Amino acid sequence: MSIVITRRTTYPCSPTLAWSIGLMLGLTQIAQAHEPIFTPGAHVHSKGGHELTLQYGRDRSSGAGEAETKQEFSLEYEYGITANWTIKAEAPLVDRKVNGNQSSGLGDLTLGTKYRFIRKDLPGQQFSTALLLQAKLPAGGDSKNPRLGSGSTDIVVGLFHGLESRRWYYNVAARYRRNAQGSGGLRKGDKVLLDLVGGVRPVLTKYKEPDTVLFLELNWEDAQHDSLNGVNLANTGGSELFISPGVFWTVGVYAITAGVQIPLAERLNGSQPSSDYRFKLTAKYEF
Amino acid sequence: MVALLKRMSFISLLAIVGAMPVFAATPVYKLHVDGLACPFCAYGVEKQVGKLANVQSVDIEIDQGLVTVTMEPDKTLSEADAKQAVSDAGFTLRKFEKSTN
Repeated sequence: MSIVITRRTTYPCSPTLAWSIGLMLGLTQIAQAHEPIFTPGAHVHSKGGHELTLQYGRDRSSGAGEAETKQEFSLEYEYGITANWTIKAEAPLVDRKVNGNQSSGLGDLTLGTKYRFIRKDLPGQQFSTALLLQAKLPAGGDSKNPRLGSGSTDIVVGLFHGLESRRWYYNVAARYRRNAQGSGGLRKGDKVLLDLVGGVRPVLTKYKEPDTVLFLELNWEDAQHDSLNGVNLANTGGSELFISPGVFWTVGVYAITAGVQIPLAERLNGSQPSSDYRFKLTAKYEF
Repeated sequence: MVALLKRMSFISLLAIVGAMPVFAATPVYKLHVDGLACPFCAYGVEKQVGKLANVQSVDIEIDQGLVTVTMEPDKTLSEADAKQAVSDAGFTLRKFEKSTN
């Protein structure tokens, strides 16, 4: 780990707060149908297709004498402009509890678009490659303790590739998150996220019959140091690797997905809380 | 007697003519679609094809990648329209066949 300058006594917010905001930001991810739970896929909606998603997430981190629990309910809407171009918007309600302090309310809004620029259709299987551009807008309250928003507008770009077939699935994804300076002079470190996913449909069912796909994901995240007014914070940033089993269950135009991220390995800078788990449950309706 | 026969013939003719719509051709089209993998995404095909004019019903067999389109009596489905609908759903029309029930 690199050594950085530390000026903790002068920070208007603690490294713990910076870390918890980072955790919150890292979890702001729009899920889509036909995709793994924590890894964005290359799939897009049909032209004129709508999808509503109600999502519940619960995350916990602890260590270094601190603990945070975060719950999030979000509503997401997606629309297919063409058969290869989807736009989406997400509004979360956030509840955070950090070392006994609790706050809740509207979190940061997310707007995004995904364009599938390669598609190869074969009998019973489809290969897709897509680009993502996503912005997180500072709609959440950044004056509460703990904060519900970062106060910054952050950009995510991503490149995704995947296969959907009758029996097998795979996905690979790479994302880069560019964070801007938020309120209080805090700038979260930029983040790289890499994902590798395998999936299987154990039973091949007919159209409109209940259908189940099981996923196993590997999610790697690496965050740079946060900075405050241009000075790096020592106890921030680092890498985490998760293994994430999940299930995608559908019947007709309804879908339920669920998954949990379990930390496999970590290499965090300095002394800071690390993830205990991240859980996600979604209900989707396509129309 | 002749008048009776004529009357019966006329009634029979009317009955045949009246029954003709019942026996009108119901065109059925078989769309062989590549890329179909999961039931949830197949809904897009049903939606796009079902929006086409005069489509009576759409049935999907995912394992065969087969979309069966039944039209209203004496109505037709063009290959170009079928191809566009499948494309709008995000898939590829590989083969287009017509049969009649």
